[in-house]
Amino acid sequence: MSETNGPRDERDRAGSDEPEADSLEALRDAVAAYALDAVEADERAAVERALADDAELRDEADGFAETAALLAGAPEPVEPPPALKSRLMAQLDGLPQQLPDASAPATPAVSPAQVESPLEPPRPDLAPEPAAPRAPGEPGPAEHAARRRWFQRPGVIIAAAAASVVLIGGAIIGVAWTGPNGWGAQREMAAIAEAPDVESSTHEIESGGAVTLYWSAEQGRSGVVVEGLPDVGESSTYELWYIDDAGAQSAGTFDVAEGETWRVLEGDFAPGVAVGVTVEPAGGSPQPTTEPIVVIPT
Amino acid sequence: MNRVIAPHRAVVVGRTTTGTSSGMLGRVADRDSDLTAPEPGPTAEELLTRVGTGDRDAFGELYDQTSARVFGLVRRLVVDPAQAEEVTQDVYLEIWQAAPRFDAARGSALAWMFTLAHRRSVDRIRASQASRDRDLRIGVRDLEVPVDTVAEAVEIRVEHERVVDALGGLSERQRECVSLAYYGGLTQSEIADRLGVPLGTVKTRLRDGMIRLRTALGVTT
Repeated sequence: MSETNGPRDERDRAGSDEPEADSLEALRDAVAAYALDAVEADERAAVERALADDAELRDEADGFAETAALLAGAPEPVEPPPALKSRLMAQLDGLPQQLPDASAPATPAVSPAQVESPLEPPRPDLAPEPAAPRAPGEPGPAEHAARRRWFQRPGVIIAAAAASVVLIGGAIIGVAWTGPNGWGAQREMAAIAEAPDVESSTHEIESGGAVTLYWSAEQGRSGVVVEGLPDVGESSTYELWYIDDAGAQSAGTFDVAEGETWRVLEGDFAPGVAVGVTVEPAGGSPQPTTEPIVVIPT
Repeated sequence: MNRVIAPHRAVVVGRTTTGTSSGMLGRVADRDSDLTAPEPGPTAEELLTRVGTGDRDAFGELYDQTSARVFGLVRRLVVDPAQAEEVTQDVYLEIWQAAPRFDAARGSALAWMFTLAHRRSVDRIRASQASRDRDLRIGVRDLEVPVDTVAEAVEIRVEHERVVDALGGLSERQRECVSLAYYGGLTQSEIADRLGVPLGTVKTRLRDGMIRLRTALGVTT
């Protein structure tokens, strides 16, 4: 399970506070209460910060989370109203999924603020409800609005650069990279680069470096080649976004090795979308949290 | 990891598949004698992992397999039926969104889902002022419901008995604190206020109680 099997959102709190004065011993005591959700929001945050840094504590928290979850077996099961399922299924399409986050604990890494953020499709069938409590440091509506602003700024989507066909197959393929640059991804990248309708657009980045987007409308796929980008360190990552009128959809993350890499974007490419790159906390974000370093229209 | 709760998981997994697979067994047994055991069906872990790849069918199946238990838990905490339904809806939407981050190596799918459901329920009741005054019929008393009325399914009754037995292994004070926290949704400070004992005492009871429960329920680490 994730988040020691408890929802967490340390990313949103990162930088909001220095670790509190709680001694490690006090935190150990708090882990049991944390597993029972018997802590206040600020203490919950303190525990989660401690868990992020302490594998042994996290292990204990995982065990308590499993234990607490077994207590869920005592209440009588109650069939929910049948309409609930169809209502849920109808909402899935508009609801983006988070990125896998290997570094996160095994608990749902989502906060109520994220789920109910204005970035997501409205759910008119939900009755008005009291505002969910927000832990200090969680993004509020204003922050969410700020985050989405650049994605909807019409001026950002400038006229598409003249398309040019560049055969990158020879330059890119053949290196025995693994993971997102593994053989499957290489074949995909080559297929995009060699597609009859491939187009590309290279954008220089102010702080140095360049990002080239290759896309094939026929294949519905796109990929980027980046050169000269600074390493953002272990605690951050570059994240790709497909951007359209509806907002930004994550298309995966990448890190650079000696300033260079390439990546096939996750998800479907549709002509007219723009592709953005932001710097996000390690593991990526469900929605962009920083200004993009580049936006490439298609 | 090896944090496995084998009996619990086996029970849960078998629950919703028993009926259909026995029926199928009856029909096909004559022509396929190899079918001597009921088909296990996908585990909640397999389903949740598939949900993490955007598999809607898996989501539907996972919902069918778990929704009565999730709704039952939410109803216990969020007593109002309409609010409990809203919370349950939020829980499943969150399951859909967060499923890519589920890691079966770290724990069971059900614990992951129940953790999320419990957190959501507690957040809801704490957001409501009325919750401060809500009746404490939730909590310890409900656990004394006769087992026969708790559930028709044998598997759920067995599981229920395990939990009740395990809670019975706590001291009365530990059980009181754990129940007020988990089934009552109270914070440890609220529990201390309600019982008129120091906060440190509540913390100790919760911790000792959880350690004892962890052992009694066979959660291995």
